[in-house]
Amino acid sequence: MSCEIKAKERAGIINPMYTCQPAGAQYASIGVEDCTAIVHGGQGCVMFVRLLFSQHLNENFDIASSSLHEDAAVLGAVHRIEGAVDVLLMRYPHVKVIPIITTCSTEIIGDDVEGVIRKLNKGLLKEKYADREVHLIPVHTPSFKGSQVTGYDVAVKAFLQHFAEKTEPNGKINLITGWVNPGDVTELKHLLRMMDVDATVLFEIENFDSPLMPDGSAVSHGSTTIEDMKGTANAIGTIALNKYEGGKAAEYLKEKFQVPAIIGPTPIGVRNTDTFLKNVSKMTGKPIPEALVRERGKAIDALQDLTHMFFADKRVAIFGHPDLVIGLAEFCLDLEMKPVLLLLGDDNPTYVKDPRLLAIQEHAEFDMEVITNADIFELEDRIKNKGLELDLILGHSKGRWVSIDNDIPMLRVGFPVFDRAGYYRHPTVGYNGAIWLAEEMANVIFNDMEKKKDREWLLAMW
Amino acid sequence: MSFRHRISLLQMLCEESNMEMKEKIAALENYIMQRCLWQFHSRAWDRETQNTGILGITRQLLCGEEVDLSTPAQKCFWVDAACLADGFRSKFPWINEMSLPEINEMMDGLKARIDYVTIHGSLNEELSVKLY
Amino acid sequence: MPYHTFKCSECLPDRQKHAVIKGPGEDITSCLPLGNLNTIPGTITERGCAYCGAKHVIGTPMKDVIHMSHGPVGCTYDTWMTKRYISDNDNFQLKYTYATDMKEKHIVFGAEKVLKQNIHEAFDAFPNIKRMTLYQTCSSALIGDDMDAIAKQVMKERPDVDIFVCNAPGFGGTSQTGGHHKINIAWINNKVGTFEPEIKSKYTINYVGDYNIQGDCEIMTDFFQRMGIQVLSSFTGNGSYDDLRSMHKADLNVLECARSAEYICNELRVRYGTPRLDIDGFGFDLLAESLMKVAMFFGDDCVAKAKEIIDEEVARWKPELDWYAKRLKGKKICLWPGGSKLWHWAHVIEEEMGVKVVSVYSKFGHQGDFEKGIARCGEGALAIDDPNELEALEAMYELKPDCILTGMRPGEVAKKIRIPYLNIHAYHNGPYKGFEGWVRLARDLYNAIYSPVMNLAAIDISKDDFDTDTGFKTRTMLSDPGTPREELHTEHMYTGKMDIVTHLRGKTYEFPAPDKPVTDAV
Repeated sequence: MSCEIKAKERAGIINPMYTCQPAGAQYASIGVEDCTAIVHGGQGCVMFVRLLFSQHLNENFDIASSSLHEDAAVLGAVHRIEGAVDVLLMRYPHVKVIPIITTCSTEIIGDDVEGVIRKLNKGLLKEKYADREVHLIPVHTPSFKGSQVTGYDVAVKAFLQHFAEKTEPNGKINLITGWVNPGDVTELKHLLRMMDVDATVLFEIENFDSPLMPDGSAVSHGSTTIEDMKGTANAIGTIALNKYEGGKAAEYLKEKFQVPAIIGPTPIGVRNTDTFLKNVSKMTGKPIPEALVRERGKAIDALQDLTHMFFADKRVAIFGHPDLVIGLAEFCLDLEMKPVLLLLGDDNPTYVKDPRLLAIQEHAEFDMEVITNADIFELEDRIKNKGLELDLILGHSKGRWVSIDNDIPMLRVGFPVFDRAGYYRHPTVGYNGAIWLAEEMANVIFNDMEKKKDREWLLAMW
Repeated sequence: MSFRHRISLLQMLCEESNMEMKEKIAALENYIMQRCLWQFHSRAWDRETQNTGILGITRQLLCGEEVDLSTPAQKCFWVDAACLADGFRSKFPWINEMSLPEINEMMDGLKARIDYVTIHGSLNEELSVKLY
Repeated sequence: MPYHTFKCSECLPDRQKHAVIKGPGEDITSCLPLGNLNTIPGTITERGCAYCGAKHVIGTPMKDVIHMSHGPVGCTYDTWMTKRYISDNDNFQLKYTYATDMKEKHIVFGAEKVLKQNIHEAFDAFPNIKRMTLYQTCSSALIGDDMDAIAKQVMKERPDVDIFVCNAPGFGGTSQTGGHHKINIAWINNKVGTFEPEIKSKYTINYVGDYNIQGDCEIMTDFFQRMGIQVLSSFTGNGSYDDLRSMHKADLNVLECARSAEYICNELRVRYGTPRLDIDGFGFDLLAESLMKVAMFFGDDCVAKAKEIIDEEVARWKPELDWYAKRLKGKKICLWPGGSKLWHWAHVIEEEMGVKVVSVYSKFGHQGDFEKGIARCGEGALAIDDPNELEALEAMYELKPDCILTGMRPGEVAKKIRIPYLNIHAYHNGPYKGFEGWVRLARDLYNAIYSPVMNLAAIDISKDDFDTDTGFKTRTMLSDPGTPREELHTEHMYTGKMDIVTHLRGKTYEFPAPDKPVTDAV
C-alpha cells in the first residue's frame, strides 16, 4: 500500500482551490472590531473578495480600496494610501484599525507602505486626528506568493506584531482559530466555557452570523478588540488550531514575549478534540469536566451508529485549506473510511513534511495520493480520465461541478460554501462538529443512494 | 408636477388648435427622451448624424414625402423614424391636422431642440473624445 | 445645477458633482452628474477593475472557449462563479477557469515561458476545445510579458487553435468600463473578419451587448429566429468564438447594453458599414417596438411574423403583468445596477408596473448613460455616479424605498435595514427579457415587497402588539388586505414554468433563403 505526497505536475491552474493572499488578509481584517482595511491595489481585489465573503456568509463586509490606476505604474501610488486613510477616517468615525493590505501590483511597483505609514503617523494622524486612536498596520500580501491561506497567516501575525504588548499576566489563553466559520467559534467558546477557561479568541467572528433586527441596527462584523490583541502578550499560552492559518502569530508571541505555544491539532473529529481539550487543560491546569465526557459520549454514540454500517471503506477525496483537509482526513480514518486523495492548494514546500501527513503515509492501509499545489482539476482529471473511483467528496462550493457532473455525492465543507444554505452556522470542530460532519456525510450518502437507487432499501429497514 | 403629468397636460393643451409651436415641440421632445435611444450615441458627430438622419426621415414621413432607403444606413434611420412618426401620430393626433409648412416648421424646431439637448447643450464631456 | 450633497460626503469636495436630483423643469442639459472618473480612494466604492470588465463581463460569457488569465491565481478565482451567464453547451464557460499561477520567480524572471506551457497544458486537458481567450492582469502588465507573441507562437505550433489576447490589466481605467472598452476594440481589431460564417437566411444580425443572464439572450434570439432572422453572433452571452469572428458579415447590429458594447458596434459601422440599431429587450411596449424595428429593417414578411409574436405574447402575458402592476402601483424602488439597466428600465418599469423609480445609480456608467437614464426618469429622482457604501445607505434612509434593485452584496446591506432587494446583475428568477421575462420581474418584485418574512422582521415582539390570529400570512393578505378571495383573481398570478429557457434549445427555425450563395472567400 502506498501513499505518495507530491506536487501537481502541470504548471498552470485549472479551477483554483484558493484565491490569492490579499483575500486571506481581508478575511482576518473583518474579524477585528472598529477595523476597516484598505487594500492597496486595483478595485477588483476588493470588490470580488467582498462578494466572495457575501456569497459564503450572506452578509456584507466593508473593506476599502486605494483604487490603483495607470499612473501608479510609473509614479507609485503611496499618495493613494494617504488619501484613502484620510477619507476613511473622515467618514467612519468609529474606525480605529486600518490594515494596509498590499497586492501584486503595489508590491511589484514597490510602494513603501511602511514609509507612508510613518509619514501618516507623524503628519495626518497627529495634525487632523490627534484625538483619535488610529492604528495603521502594514500587511504585505503580494498575490504572487502563497495563497489566501498564507495571506490569513500573515495578517494575523501583522495584527499581533502591531498590538501585542507585555504588561501584567492576564490569566487567559490565546486561541487562534484559523480561517473558520462563526459556527466553529461558537463551538470553541462553548468548549472553553465548559472548561472554565478564559480565552482571547482570535478572531471573535460569531457576529458574522448577525440578525435582522426590527430597528435595522445589526451589522455583521468581528468583535476582537484592540485590548484583546494587546493582551495576547500576557497570556498563559497560545493555542493555534491551524498550523497554516495563525501558526506564524503563535510563533511570534512565543519568540517575542515567551508565551508558550501549542500549534494544532485542528480539532476536527473526536480524537483531535480530545487532544485540544488536553492541551487546554495542560496549559491552564483546569480539568476536563464531566459534562464534556457526556458531550463526547453523545458524539461517539452518534458516530458508532454510522461508521461500519455506512462509512467503512468508502473512498473519499478531500480538497480545501490544508489544516482542514488534514483534519478531515484524520477524522475519516477514525470513521473507517479511505481518504484516497487529498488536495492541498498552494506551493507551500512544507506541506510534504507535515508530520500529520507523514503519519497518514506511514499507516494508510490503502493506496492514496496527497497532491500539493493542487487545483480542482486534479480531482476531476483523476475521476474522468484516470479511473479514480469515489464514494464521497469533501470540499467547498467551487468544486461543485466535479460532484454534479460525475455524480459523486459531496458534502460542502470549508470556504467558500455558497450552494448550500446556512453551512457557516454549523461547526466542523469540537464534538458537535464531529456529529454534524458525520451525520451530514451520512445524509449526502443516503440522498445519493436514493437518487441512484443504489441499495436504497437499506435505509428503510433497520 | 411629474413628467407624466406634464405630458398629459401638454397633450390636453395640444387639443387646443392655437397651441403654441413651442409646446408642441416640447411634447415631441419628451416623447423622444422617454422612449428612444437613437439620439444618445456616444460622440457628437454620431449624434449629429443620427439626429439628422432620423428626424429628417420622420419629417419626410409626416409630410408624405418619398424616403430614400437605398443604403443600410438609411434603412436603419427609417426604422427608427417610422416608429417615431407612428408614435407621434397616435400620441399627438393634432399632428394629423397640421399643414405641411407647419409640420416642416415644427420638425425644424424639434431637430434644433434635440441637437441642443443631446449635442450643443449637452453636459456630457465625452462627446468630443476623438476615438470610440 | 441641481447637485445633491450627501451628508456623509460633505467632507469630500470631489464627490460634490457625482449626484443630482432631477427637479421641476430640469432636463439633461441642466442635470447631469460627472461620470467615469477615478474613484476617490477609501470611499468604499462598489466598483471593480478593468480586468473584470474585460474577462468577467464580456469575455467569459463566450461559451466554447478556454478563458485563461495570465497572472496570480486570485484574479481568475475571484471572477469565477459570480454571475449567472449560462449557455446552451452545459455551461462550459461557467465551470472552467484557467490561471497561469504567476509566482515571485516569474515576476523576477518573466513569465512568458510558463504562459506558453500553460496554454499547451490547457489545450491538452480539453482536446475538444480549440479556442482560447487570454487576459492580461496587473502583474503580467507590470512585468511586461509579450502575450501576443506567445499566442502567435502557440498558434503556429498548433494550427487548429485560435487565441485571442486581451490586454486590459486591472488598473487600466476607472473601473470595469475600461475593460469593456479594451476588449471591444481588441476583438474588432484582431478577430472580426477572420472567419466566414455559413449564411442560412436572407436576414442576418449580430445581437450585441447581452450576456445571457439566466437565458435573456436565448429568449431574444428565439424571437429573432422565429422572425426568420439568422443571429450570426451574440456578443457575448451564449456566444461562440468563431461566430463572433464573423460579426462583419451581419446586415445589422442590434445593440442592447450600449455601455459595454457600443464600441464594437461603432467600429463595425465605420469599418464595415453595418448599421447600429439600439433596442430595449425589457418591457412590453419597448420590446414590442424593438422587435418591430428589427423586423422593419428586413421587410414585410419579417414584420408580419413579428406582429404575430407580439400579439400572441401580449395576449398571453399582459393579464399577469397587470395583476402585479396593480399591486406594485406607487411602490418606490431604487434602480441601482452596474450600467445599462438604469436606462433600459427607468421609464418602462414605471409605465408598466406602476412603481416609482426614486433613485438610479450606476457603478461604472459614463455621462452618456446618465443622459439616457435621467431623460427617462421622473421628477425627483436621485441619480448617483460611482456610489459608495455610506451614500447608498443615506439614500435608503432618506428615500425609504420598498425595494432595491442591485447586486447581491449591496442587497445584504439593504436587508439589514429591512429593505428587500432584487438581484439586478444575476437576477433572482429570470430571465427578465421577453414578455414572460418582464412578468417574472414583476412577480419577483411583488414577492420581494410583499414577503411574509420581511413582514415579520418589522415586529419587535418585546414592545409591539402583534397579531396572533393566524399562523401565517400569504402574499395577497399583505398586498390586498381585506379583499374577498373571489376578487383577487389569483389565477392571474404568474403561471409560467420555473425553467423557461431549456426548452428553447431543441427548437428548429425556418429561414428565408439567402439572396445569393456566399462563397468561402476571406
